[in-house]
Amino acid sequence: MASRPPDVAKETQAYLPDFCAAGAIFVVVLVSVLIAIVLTLASHTTPGTFLTELAKMSLFILWLGLLGAAILCQIRPWVEKFGQTQAFVIAFVLLELLSLALAEIAFQLTGIFGEAVIINDTHGGFILRTFAISSIIIALAMRYLYISSEWRRSIVLEAQARISALQALIRPHFLFNSMNTIASLTRSDPARAEEAIEDLADLLRANLGAQKDRTTLKEELEVAAIYQRIEKLRLGERLNVRWNIGELPMRALIPSLTIQPLLENAIYHGIELLPEGGEVIVTGVRNGNNLEIEMRNPIAADRSAHKGGNQMALANIRQRFELAYGGKATVSVEETDDEFRVKLCFPYDEHVV
Amino acid sequence: MKILIVDDEALARDRLSQILVDSDEHDVVGEAENGAQALEIARESAPDVVLLDIRMPGMNGIETAHHLNSFESPPAIIFTTAYDEYAIEAFDARAVGYVLKPVRRERLDRALERAARLSNITLSEIAKRSGISDLREHICAHTQGEIKLIPVRDVFCFRADQKYVRVQHRNGEDLIDDSLNHLEQEFADEFVRIHRNALIAVRQIDTLKKSSGGQTLVTLRDGPQGEDSALIISRRHVANVRRRIKER
Repeated sequence: MASRPPDVAKETQAYLPDFCAAGAIFVVVLVSVLIAIVLTLASHTTPGTFLTELAKMSLFILWLGLLGAAILCQIRPWVEKFGQTQAFVIAFVLLELLSLALAEIAFQLTGIFGEAVIINDTHGGFILRTFAISSIIIALAMRYLYISSEWRRSIVLEAQARISALQALIRPHFLFNSMNTIASLTRSDPARAEEAIEDLADLLRANLGAQKDRTTLKEELEVAAIYQRIEKLRLGERLNVRWNIGELPMRALIPSLTIQPLLENAIYHGIELLPEGGEVIVTGVRNGNNLEIEMRNPIAADRSAHKGGNQMALANIRQRFELAYGGKATVSVEETDDEFRVKLCFPYDEHVV
Repeated sequence: MKILIVDDEALARDRLSQILVDSDEHDVVGEAENGAQALEIARESAPDVVLLDIRMPGMNGIETAHHLNSFESPPAIIFTTAYDEYAIEAFDARAVGYVLKPVRRERLDRALERAARLSNITLSEIAKRSGISDLREHICAHTQGEIKLIPVRDVFCFRADQKYVRVQHRNGEDLIDDSLNHLEQEFADEFVRIHRNALIAVRQIDTLKKSSGGQTLVTLRDGPQGEDSALIISRRHVANVRRRIKER
């Protein structure tokens, strides 16, 4: 089934980093000072004047760096519209012009301050040197930003692909079986058929609308509950689900489409293959700033005939947790002869970070 | 035509019988919710066609079909499936009767017209494509008009006995039609040949010893005990049996 890839937060899609942010400014200052130290060390020859030289150098480079950051901060929304390569070219040219202008101003200022600040070079020489050094450094910086933006984009794209793949993955079997159930109910029990169609519609809507990376626990659990109702029609007494989730804060955020696929796995690989059926147990625990959700389902003793398949959805969930929480979340799996367990541990957030 | 419906989902069975009841040509002789029940009903009511779901708990549709094939006059089989994209390729390639869920009347009618007995090779292919193991989990014995399903894990040994193969298992002994060579191939992971006329379950091997006549004998853990019941391992199979014991 075709579905649009979900829209991922704009921030990760931007090419240039946000230079208005305090973190970025700090890095600019740090890098400027480091460059000043390197340049002073390289050119310094007269003993006893290192610190003065460094101060002068830092003053100039910090001036350039901070003004550059301010410019990038202002032009970013505008320049992003041109596309990746153009954005970097425009930023490079603007910074280059800025450095030339500052070099010119600095040279003129030395005339006013006289002895205090001396540039031991001709006018043209100073401008040329400044231009050469700043070109190299700005080019390197742009290259670095370009690569890291490429890297971020590739991660995002990969994640989108996985979500789409997951959406495609959960459908066919379930969808056609449900349709068959509904076809059967339309004659024998029209009222239940009606409910089933409404449930199926809600479930499809939730799936098609899963463009948000994360959703509230409440919504995610509702989707799972609808899924459970539809499967219950099909499997009858064989399917039971116990939800021990009173402890979970319903406002908490969770990557969308996690609980429902896990329940789907538990039914498809567990309950459905047991002649007597069984009970899926979902337990939610709040552990300080962490939430834990565990899903357990019985499995047929001889599963050799039905191995494989559930790894895909699990790998998907794992990758999306990694993307959303970057190492602060775990997805663990435990399998015994007669039981399968998946446990999600993730930080308790109420707002998208 | 006499038709038997097999599906683990009640509503899926209802759907098929609703459609079949509408047409007067067919007669639903029974409904089963699992493979074992299907074999039981099929033996009693001898349907012409069995509508068989593939994915069922316990004994899946493919294994059920294999057992149905072992009947004296086997019924034709039509598989019903929701979405086994690879299996469907196999169905199409071999022009096998299958209907997709949700079941459409015309499709079912067409499949019923074409209903034919499936070969075991075809079944294996479909099993492979559906990601279902083609290994049987049961051995099917026909005794005095009755069907007996013996779980493979309960079997100690298979011994060729004239025209038949004798199965010794946890609950006694039965005769089956399968050939020893075929059983050896199908259950190669769990059974080992010890003699021209015998296969034993590797996990059942208790002790190996030499008889006074210099023959190697094996006793089985849960099999009949005592001197006389030890089985002879022929010389050419001894090395292989020892290797299998080490590997387990």
